[in-house]
Amino acid sequence: MSVFCIVLSVLLVTAIFGMADMFLRSQKIQSYKTDGNWHANFQNISDTDAAMIAARPDVAAMSWYDAVNYKAEPTYSINGKTVAICGFDEDFLSDIYIDTALTEGHFPTGGQEAVLTQNAKETLGLRLGDTVTVNMPEGRTLPLAVCGFADNTAMMLRYDCVGVFLSTGQFRAIPWADAEGAAANPGMYYVQFTPYCNIQKAIADIQSQLQIPDAQVGQNVRLLGVMGQSGDPMMLCLYATAGVLFVLVLLAGIMMIASSLNSNVAQRTQFFGMLRCIGATPKQVIRLVRCEALSWCQFAIPLGVGIGVVLIWVLCAVLRALSPYFFAEMPVIAVSVPSIAAGVVVGLLTVLLAARAPARRAARVSPLTAVSGNADAAAPARHAVGAKRLHVDTALGIHHAMASRKNFALMVGSFALSIVLFLSFSALISFMDHAVTPLNPATPDLSIISADNTRSVRGGLLETLGENPAVARVYGRMFAFDVPAVTGGQAGTADLISYDAPQFRWAEKALLEGSVQETERGTDAVLTVYSPENPFRVGDTVTLDCNGASHTLRVTGMLSDSPFSSGNGFGDLICSEGTFRRLMGDGGYTVIDMQLTGRATDADVQAIRALAGEGVRFSDRRAGNAEATGAYLAFALFVYGFLALIALITVCNIINSLAMSVSAWMRQYGAMRAVGMGGHQLVRMVTAEAAAYAVAGSVAGCILGLPLHRFLFEKMVSFRWGDPWQAPLGALALIVAIVAVTSFAAVRGPAKRIRELSIADTISAE
Amino acid sequence: MEILQVEKLCKTYGQGETRVEALRDVSLRLEKGEFAAVIGESGSGKSTLLNCIGGLDQPTSGRVLLDGQDLFAMKEQERTVFRRRNIGFVFQSFQLVGELDVEQNIAFPMLLDYQRPDQKRVEEVLQVLGLSDRRRHLPSQLSGGQQQRVAIGRALMMKPMLILADEPTGNLDSKNSRDVMELLVQASRRFQQTILMITHNVNLAAACDRVLRVTDGVLSDLGGVRE
Repeated sequence: MSVFCIVLSVLLVTAIFGMADMFLRSQKIQSYKTDGNWHANFQNISDTDAAMIAARPDVAAMSWYDAVNYKAEPTYSINGKTVAICGFDEDFLSDIYIDTALTEGHFPTGGQEAVLTQNAKETLGLRLGDTVTVNMPEGRTLPLAVCGFADNTAMMLRYDCVGVFLSTGQFRAIPWADAEGAAANPGMYYVQFTPYCNIQKAIADIQSQLQIPDAQVGQNVRLLGVMGQSGDPMMLCLYATAGVLFVLVLLAGIMMIASSLNSNVAQRTQFFGMLRCIGATPKQVIRLVRCEALSWCQFAIPLGVGIGVVLIWVLCAVLRALSPYFFAEMPVIAVSVPSIAAGVVVGLLTVLLAARAPARRAARVSPLTAVSGNADAAAPARHAVGAKRLHVDTALGIHHAMASRKNFALMVGSFALSIVLFLSFSALISFMDHAVTPLNPATPDLSIISADNTRSVRGGLLETLGENPAVARVYGRMFAFDVPAVTGGQAGTADLISYDAPQFRWAEKALLEGSVQETERGTDAVLTVYSPENPFRVGDTVTLDCNGASHTLRVTGMLSDSPFSSGNGFGDLICSEGTFRRLMGDGGYTVIDMQLTGRATDADVQAIRALAGEGVRFSDRRAGNAEATGAYLAFALFVYGFLALIALITVCNIINSLAMSVSAWMRQYGAMRAVGMGGHQLVRMVTAEAAAYAVAGSVAGCILGLPLHRFLFEKMVSFRWGDPWQAPLGALALIVAIVAVTSFAAVRGPAKRIRELSIADTISAE
Repeated sequence: MEILQVEKLCKTYGQGETRVEALRDVSLRLEKGEFAAVIGESGSGKSTLLNCIGGLDQPTSGRVLLDGQDLFAMKEQERTVFRRRNIGFVFQSFQLVGELDVEQNIAFPMLLDYQRPDQKRVEEVLQVLGLSDRRRHLPSQLSGGQQQRVAIGRALMMKPMLILADEPTGNLDSKNSRDVMELLVQASRRFQQTILMITHNVNLAAACDRVLRVTDGVLSDLGGVRE
């Protein structure tokens, strides 16, 4: 039993710390991919200052960076394809923005060379050595030789533009107009510090030495946060939270082992008495108890660490499977040294510390107890059981739970700590819901958008795309912007948008009032999207002036939000495709969105792009979607993983604790059975004992856990988002239910053991 | 009137070379109010006999009939309730419930029956045992002799058909042993209680109506001691 307890607590510590370690690693990978591997940037500093920063021994990599047309306006283009122009040092691609690596060719070495993003190959048919001309505003041009290709970035794909990467020298040599922003300052200087450097101190040093004000300094808060190096107040709150959770996990481990050792020693009083009888000194007994506890560690610690490590491997495998784009780099056989060290140290230290009191107690055992008849009997009761109100079996069960104050406190403490742990970790769910937004179900992977926001995307494309095996779902919308509208005597404009079946299904989830079906089926019904300025209410009528003809429509539903909302004029009016065509006439779509299957390849995307033809904009949001999904999945997996693990440990701990507690009374149960206690009565007695622990543990868990949850919630959520704390009733009900159900289920094993116990053997053993 | 009927009781432990025949074809009958002692050396099988008669241990073969009812034809739960109501036990190591006071320990079989203890009966037993002034004491606050008296009280409480006493004086000094024996004899005489006592003390057996001896699992009747 004690071995099992040590295994459990070592497993708890190893798995939780290992999960935390893997979480930080996954966040680091994500951060590298989305924000880049830099720690600080300095704006508007001189080259001399930059050189001084670069000369510091604690700076590992650095690069200038500046960009023009990052918002992808069509005024900068190569052969009609929009471009964004960036200038940076070679280190930027190799060390800082590592997700955009050079895939072919070399970094511009001088002259009129440029690296283009990979999509230039497909969309412009360019090859290494080709010469291109970048058209810029006011008729300026920039001739460039293609010297290399680099990975696409999520932003470039989303806005369907090509990245033109120049060296810093080249970029600065271009005579940019003031309005373009690049001429006004030398750009941003990105710095990556060496590992184990105190980054906040280094940044403060640089600022004070070079007189750089705070406003000119930026930090990669997310990366610094996961490195434990952030000075951001939010991050400091998160560190405090992590500290509290760390202490709680340690306490839970210590409590489990202490409770187990305590009851183990209590059950073997006669053995220790016998040792004293044959001449063992109290010191020798103490040493024996300690050595025995340490000998359990030989087996229990490797086992606990082993299971913890395997659990982490499983988790990493799940993470890789869920989001291969992000977590393909997570190791298959991940070894988290801090978690293993924590497991071993906690196991050993806790066993040694927890063994102190029982060892002293064992040493105090009188040699006489070995020869007296009551050697293994529990400590004498202090008062008689009150069996007047309760049945004697129930009263005895409760009394057994409370017979030893220390044992009761340890048992209740370990039950309560499970609840406290669960409640504390459940605060992370609220944090996750705020910090990481899951992808909207309507978010497309690809969009074909009318270049001039008219209905120029041909309607037949929707059917063709629907038959494409790489497309999981396709849905189109027609837009009519600024349609003159009159409602309640008020004249203005509204945007009319058509939805098809999938979009109406998503709209149902955002319905505040009214009916979606009525709009979907009707010919004169519209939905509207809530905004404080929107005058439309459910039941209102609105008269639209469509191509000179007046049409009156009923507002049949109000949506809280729409992913396609424009919010112009009065607001949006959403109708069915039939209604839209009746009002605005036949025509194509303004936007066709697609969600791809998991098996869709880049070649499929190129085929779809080719299918879309000319005169449309093509938006590829796969990389951005993968970022959002990856972030959410990683966070959710770890948060729910923590909770599941705590719940599992709670279940195991309760089963084990009850089994140990029952073992302590086994002799007495034998005698009770001899004088006529039935099997059901035994079950009732053990159940009453379990219930006493469960009720007291749950009450103590709530008393301690709720304020702690509040503290953590306020640190993590209220501090940043201002949400007031609310009691986590769902999590509380769940963990209390787990404790209650497990306690009652855990009775079955010990009760069966008691029933199977030979009464004659028990009696004669006395 | 015949209360206990034991027929060809056999009990075997182990198999092969470790096989031990603890009881061999033991047959025995006890009349109502009879106080019998079973004597024998350590390991002779006397405790096994008592455990089988009390339904605490399952015999390999044979029957135990108490007031005509076959103990081992009953299901476990049924036998437990039957034992609670019809058989009283007195053990060498008392086996009192440490968390119950004297009065609750005496009334324990009734409490297990979820009955309100018959206060008159409790008073009567306490008086017979001389424990009236100790009724609120816990077992840990009593001497060994007093604890054994409580155990006897618990055995008497339900007015069982049979009391089985296994070395009831084994843990007591000579004065307390005498007191306990007097109590058992008194119970036999005053309440017409049938008692089967195991002892290895031949002197104690002299106080009984009948003495039986177990030798290597075989029971022999040594006949009446006292008329």
